[in-house]
Parts: sequence; C-alpha cells; structure tokens
Amino acid sequence: MIRLQDLHKAFLVKDKRTRARRLIEAVRGISLEVRPGEIYGLLGPNGAGKSTTLRMIAGLMRPDRGSVQVCGVDTVRRPEQARALVGYLSTDLGVYTRFTPRELLKLFGAFQGVEARAAERRGMGLLERLGLADFADVRMEGFSGGQKQKVSIARALLHDPAVVVFDEPTTGLDVLTAKTVLDLLRQLRAEGRSVVVSTHVMPMVEAVCDRVGIIFDGALHGDAPPREILDRWGVASLDEVFFQLAAGDEGRPA
Amino acid sequence: MNGALLVLRKEFLELSKDRRTLFYTFVMPLIIYPLIFFMMSMLGSSDAAARAGRPSRVWLSDPSGVLAGLLEEDPGQFQAVPRPPGDLRQAIRDQKLDLALEADPDGAGKLARSETLELKALYDNSDESSKLALERFKARLRQREARWVQGRLQRLGAPPQLALPVRLQTEEAGGMGLFLGKLVGSFLPYLLMIMMYAGAMQHGIYATAGEKERGTLQSLLSTRLPRTQIILGKLLYIFTIGILSALVNLLSMALSLGRLLASAPAGAPAAITGVSALASPPALGLTFLLMVPLGLFFANFILLGGIQARNTLEASSALTPGIFVVVLLGVFSMAPGIEKLAWLPFVPVLNVSLAIRKLFSQQGNTFEYLVALAMTLFLAGLMTWISTRMLNRESAIFRV
Repeated sequence: MIRLQDLHKAFLVKDKRTRARRLIEAVRGISLEVRPGEIYGLLGPNGAGKSTTLRMIAGLMRPDRGSVQVCGVDTVRRPEQARALVGYLSTDLGVYTRFTPRELLKLFGAFQGVEARAAERRGMGLLERLGLADFADVRMEGFSGGQKQKVSIARALLHDPAVVVFDEPTTGLDVLTAKTVLDLLRQLRAEGRSVVVSTHVMPMVEAVCDRVGIIFDGALHGDAPPREILDRWGVASLDEVFFQLAAGDEGRPA
Repeated sequence: MNGALLVLRKEFLELSKDRRTLFYTFVMPLIIYPLIFFMMSMLGSSDAAARAGRPSRVWLSDPSGVLAGLLEEDPGQFQAVPRPPGDLRQAIRDQKLDLALEADPDGAGKLARSETLELKALYDNSDESSKLALERFKARLRQREARWVQGRLQRLGAPPQLALPVRLQTEEAGGMGLFLGKLVGSFLPYLLMIMMYAGAMQHGIYATAGEKERGTLQSLLSTRLPRTQIILGKLLYIFTIGILSALVNLLSMALSLGRLLASAPAGAPAAITGVSALASPPALGLTFLLMVPLGLFFANFILLGGIQARNTLEASSALTPGIFVVVLLGVFSMAPGIEKLAWLPFVPVLNVSLAIRKLFSQQGNTFEYLVALAMTLFLAGLMTWISTRMLNRESAIFRV
C-alpha cells in the first residue's frame, strides 16, 4: 500500500539571464493511494512532476510538506525501513557496466540485506523471467539499452519489495522488450504488490494500468481507471487530456 | 559501518574489474621510477664521464708569460686554443670555449716585485664544462701559487709556516644518514602529498561525479543503506586509494633510489648506510601516522568536489587546482629556514610537512609532532562532518 497525503516539493532555481533565484513548485498537493495488487499509472508530460513524486515515494527525496507512507512506514521518519519495502527503477539506465548481471545482483542483494544464496536464487529467477539468463555472466559493457533496463528491473525487484516504483520503464525500449516489461508488471500485480509507473506512453497505460492520475504542472488532475478518465473528459484518447490541460482547460472534469 | 564497508567493497570490486586502471595505478609506478632513475643515472654518468675525459678548452692572454707552461703541463686537462673571433662571452655561451683567462700585461714584473698578480677568468656558471674548466684551472693555479709563496718566503728568509698561520681540520658529525635524511625529509612530505592527492583524485571523481554521470547513483541511494554509510564508504575508498597510491609510488622510488646510490662506486658503503638510516621503522611509522589524517582530509575534499559536481569534467576542473595548492604548500615547506618560523607548527597541512621533515632530520620535536597530528586529526574529522552533512543534501545528489 502506498499513501501520499498533500505532497509538496519545490526547488530553488536560478535564472541564467536575470540571475534571480526563484522557487519552482514541482509537486503541488498530491494525494493518492495505491492498493496492493494494483497498478497505478502516473501520467504527465516531461517536467510535470512525475519523477519527483516517484523519488519521494522511493525515499530518495524528502517532501517539503505532506507525507508518504509505504506499507504504513513513513519515508521521512524511517527512510531506511521504507526504502527496504520499495523496488525503485529510475529513468537512467545506469548499471555498473564493469560487472556481470550476476555480480551486480549479488552486490545489491548485500546492500538490501538479502542473504547471498537467496539473492543468487532470486536474481537468477528474475533474469530467467526477463529472458536474460544466458547473459548472467557477461560483462554489461556491451549491453543494449533494453538489456540494461532488464538488469535494472531485476536489481529493483531483488529484495522482493511490496511496493514497486518504476519511472518510465518502457521508454526507449523496442516492442518486444516493452512487452516483457508489461508482462512483468502484470505478474507483479498478480503477486499482490502495489505498483506505480510513470509514463507518457499512452498505450502502456491503457494496457496495464488499473487506475491513472494525470500530473500536470505539479498537480494531480483526475485519479480513476483509464476508461473513466476518457469518459469524464469526453475524449477518445488520453493524449487529448494532455492537449486540453496544455490549452489551460485544467478544471474541466471534477 | 557495515554499509560503508559494503560500499567500499563495491568500489574495490569495480576497480578490480578494470585491469588497465589497476595496472596504471599500482603497477606503472613500479616500472616507471626504476626506468626514469636508470635513464637519469645513465645519462648523468655518461655525460660526466665524457666531460672528465675531455680536456678543457682554454684561451689564455698572457703577454708577460707569467703563466707560461701552466696549461701545457697537463694536456689531459687543458687544451690551449686561439682566441675565437667576436665576443668572448658569446663564444663561451656558444660552448666554443670553456674558459677565457686574461693575465695582467705586467704580470711577470709584478710577481718579481712581490706584488699581486691580477688574473681575470671568464666562464659560464650554467655550463658544467665551463665550471669544470675553472675548477681545474684553480687547482693548477693553487700549486703554482704555493711555489710562488714559498719562493717569496725563502727570499725573505722566513719559515714556510709563515704563510700558514692556521690549519683547519674538519670532521663530519652528521654522516651520510643525516645528510640523506635532511635531503629526503625536505621533499618527502611534498611528494607524499602530491601522490596521495593525485592518486586519489581520479578514482574519487569516478566514484562520485562518475556515478551521477553514469546514472548509477540513484540505484545505490534507493537501497536500504543509510546515506551517511554510502558517503562514508566512498570516503574510505578514496582515502584507501590515496594512501595505497602514495605507498606504491614511494616504495618504487625508494627502491630505485637505493639501487642507484648503492651502484655508485665511490660512495657505496656510505650510501647504503644512509639509505638504511632513512628506513628507520619509528620514523616511517610516525610519518605514516601523520599521513592517515592528512589522507582523510584530502579524501573529504575530493569527495565534496566530486559529489557537488554535475559531471566528471566539472569535478575534474574543480579538483585539479588542488594539486597546485599542494605543490605550492610543498614548495613553501621546502624553503630553507622555514622550520624556524614559530607559527608554522600551527598551520594545517604545512605542519605535517615540517614534522616529517624534522623526523627525517633526526630533529623530531614531540610537541610539534603532536600539534600537527592533533590539528590534522581535528581537520579531517571536521571535514568528514561537513562532507556527510553537505552530501546528504538533495541539492548535491540531484544536481544535474
């Protein structure tokens, strides 16, 4: 279970031209809940506040105001315990390329407090599920973006987290790899995990998300199943919701 | 602390996967110093041998013939040459000539009248051959001068001791060990600091700004490891690499220097004694004890610069000037007479240089050593506290 209450986050930025400092509100009063066995899609254009929200759920950032709870654990008061419950995948395809996937998973198993043999077993199982078992002992220097993404996913799920937070997990992936990721998301839901994914790829939302929240300019607009959102806005696709929001039609559906 | 050790292990595991970097960090110094020292000794000895085996080219203007035969007596050392055309100074600078001598036109007359003979020597102090020519001439002249003095004394009916009112007998109190100790002590701290800083810098950048650039930092931060432990792990890694780099470089340099000195035929026994005096375990141990907090101070500095930077280029640009600061401090600490400055033991970093210098000069001062150790420990602790506080900030970690 994930519970966000009146979440706020602002960043101080410096205007290069005027050299004046100003506060940018990246997240403005977001409240939502993701239940176990549910995939929640966080939609929004670039810079809308999706990644900041996910980082706060993953315990990487502290909210300025409001609270985040994962499985009842407050991410600010008990950050280490909260992070142990979350499997976080960032937008960066960053993996330690000098390692093989097996070595990397063993290492992160140690970081997450997973016993070495259990980490090996679970890591290899994940690589198998992601179709990467044959590359378990190959150094990742020559890996494609998709292969790195799969290793990152295995790394995020290694400690068997109750909450899964994936930031744009299919961006830049080919159709086959994207399908593998979507299938995995469905499996995670079936296993009873709370899953939050951010994306701006609409077909992905329609394919797997049980509920969606549309973030625009740091605020949440709508929090409902995808079909309901379309009906409320009276549009044929979620893309059109963005267009309307961008056109300043923010308050249209309640 | 367990988390910090896990991060330290990860950093070393990552380094162990990069054989080239390992080679350049730990093996290259073991090859490069013996090679450089060997080439230097070869070049130096062959150049010195070539100079010693060649007669110095001297032009002598001696209208009165007072120095007649002086150069010709030893053709192995002097070769009398005609005056080169043009300016004499330029001829010496152009190495057409090693030494130009101009004797007083009335030299013979002055000598006969027991007056002082004026002699002008023109040489180039920056040229080894020219300096050697002057030394050779002075030695030859001293012999001739002694004969002239004896002649004058005989004419006066005075005993030979008249011109020798005092005979000074000197004895070396320090010995080769102290000489080498002072020599090494003057540049050792400087070398240690540069090696430690430069050795740790690139690895530190890779482990900090490099993690940001490669997009791996977030995955590390998303684990259950406390952020402070991650920072401490990286700090330990940078510190360990710095210390290891300095030790490997020093070991290689010491071995090369020892071999070079031992192979010197003239001073071999003294040189060996000197080198073994340098390797006194207490001096080395106390030096290492001082280097630990200093290394920690440098590691903190590198960690701060690395994590605050957006990418490796920015980190590198920010941290490279640190080498120049260390060089400047080193040069300052090598200045003659610097140890007499009363306030120096209280200046951080410089006091470490001074303490090491005194340790090797066998002038160790317990109070000054303890002040340097305490101050550097305090500084390292303060920097660690600042680092962990500053690097815990989101503005540092997510600065892109």
